[in-house]
Amino acid sequence: MRVRVDTDLCTGHALCAAQAPDVYVLDELGYNCTGTAEVPPELEDRARRGALCCPEGAITIED
Amino acid sequence: MTAHEPVREPVVDFDHYRHRSIGESDRAWRALRERCPVAWTEANGGHWVVAGYDEVAAAFRDWETFSSRRTDPEVCSLSVGNLRVPPLYPEELDPPEWYPLRRVLSEVLSPNAVARLAPRIEHWVTFFVDQFIERGSCELAAELTCRVPAAVVLELLGFPPADWERIQRAFHGIAAYDRTKPEFVAAAADIGWVSRRVAEEMAERRRAPRDDAMSFIAAYEYEGVRIAPEDAEAVVLLTIGGGVDTTTSVSSAALLHLARHPDDRRRLLDDPAAIDGAIEEFLRVYPPARTHARTAVRDTELGGCRVTSGDRVLLSEVSANHDEHAFPDADRFVIDRFPNRHVAFGMGIHRCPGSHLARAQFKVMLQQVLERMPDYTVRDDDVVEYPNWSSIGGWARLRAEFTSGPRRLPPSAPQRGAPDPV
Repeated sequence: MRVRVDTDLCTGHALCAAQAPDVYVLDELGYNCTGTAEVPPELEDRARRGALCCPEGAITIED
Repeated sequence: MTAHEPVREPVVDFDHYRHRSIGESDRAWRALRERCPVAWTEANGGHWVVAGYDEVAAAFRDWETFSSRRTDPEVCSLSVGNLRVPPLYPEELDPPEWYPLRRVLSEVLSPNAVARLAPRIEHWVTFFVDQFIERGSCELAAELTCRVPAAVVLELLGFPPADWERIQRAFHGIAAYDRTKPEFVAAAADIGWVSRRVAEEMAERRRAPRDDAMSFIAAYEYEGVRIAPEDAEAVVLLTIGGGVDTTTSVSSAALLHLARHPDDRRRLLDDPAAIDGAIEEFLRVYPPARTHARTAVRDTELGGCRVTSGDRVLLSEVSANHDEHAFPDADRFVIDRFPNRHVAFGMGIHRCPGSHLARAQFKVMLQQVLERMPDYTVRDDDVVEYPNWSSIGGWARLRAEFTSGPRRLPPSAPQRGAPDPV
């Protein structure tokens, strides 16, 4: 599974990283700077939860 | 009417300044939302009211169409109430001017900065609970939910503690009292005093920087250009205005909710890990900022309505948060609702940069009340709501009783910011 973060849509709510700190990387202002990342199987659930709670819909899950 | 006259419909009889209680406000927004997601009202000089989740979110995100820049330099763009206050930057700016001022505020209030503030948040919550914990009674708004955000934000900025109470009372007063009450008149006059104090403190920081956020803001440079003094002051004023009475509102709402809903309180006492989900649900159901205004700067379509350049547009966070299309069983408080993509902090580029600090303070206040006074009750016959739920909602009085407990800080702890003796 991969996550793809649209940094143009991210406005720094930082809720993704609260759900999955080992998947989503925040910059020094709290904006998601993950870009595209492979997710190890044991973190998939957390990654999904992080994507689901993004108010801006900035995170896409690619299975 | 000529062929070029804008068609503004559907027209509704709707004035959110008439909402005198949370119940009245919630019912009015629901009735409007069930009829149409977007409508025109002739109230307040005429403006669109946007009630649907999708429409509110779309307008918040589209800053190129829905501008937050002032059209009259004297009048705040963020409400439709003709409010004459000094500028609040970066919220009342669009890109590109918005960016450097947003950046400085985001640095001051970033998740990492808030993590570094955790001991100060813990300290101030402990300190203020200490002031009433032995008494077995308190007024939760005046003695806790107003106090903590003021102490945390004003200490972070670097305001002298002697100013904290007056600043906090000014921002609480303009929201908590009716426009006809002497408390409101005094508070409104005091906002001018706050603005002058900001100018004085910032001039001092430019001369002699200290280790505080006001110094950081005063000296901020972006792409080699130093922040203009008046812009820096507008950022500080927004930080105070955004920080002082807003976290107060949702914290009061949560404490009242838990007093009235023993099952939800039991759940949080039995399962402390449920608090993070509960915080989001409190924010959804009881958003402190009920509405924000924008100005259309080009013709567009929103929710099937034809919005014309120049039209004022009122976006309702509270209505979006209660929209059944976005939240199943939206009027019910569901403590572990997930996902919960509420718009309590707004969306898009002006999303509240203080959201991380707000959540952190709100959480510690809830935790300490649940730990230290788990049996508290609120005198429901003496609850006083703000008299106006148009822009900011909240509670002016929440008297609580509980089994008294011990202080945590030694009596010799610094007493700065201490409340008046009650």
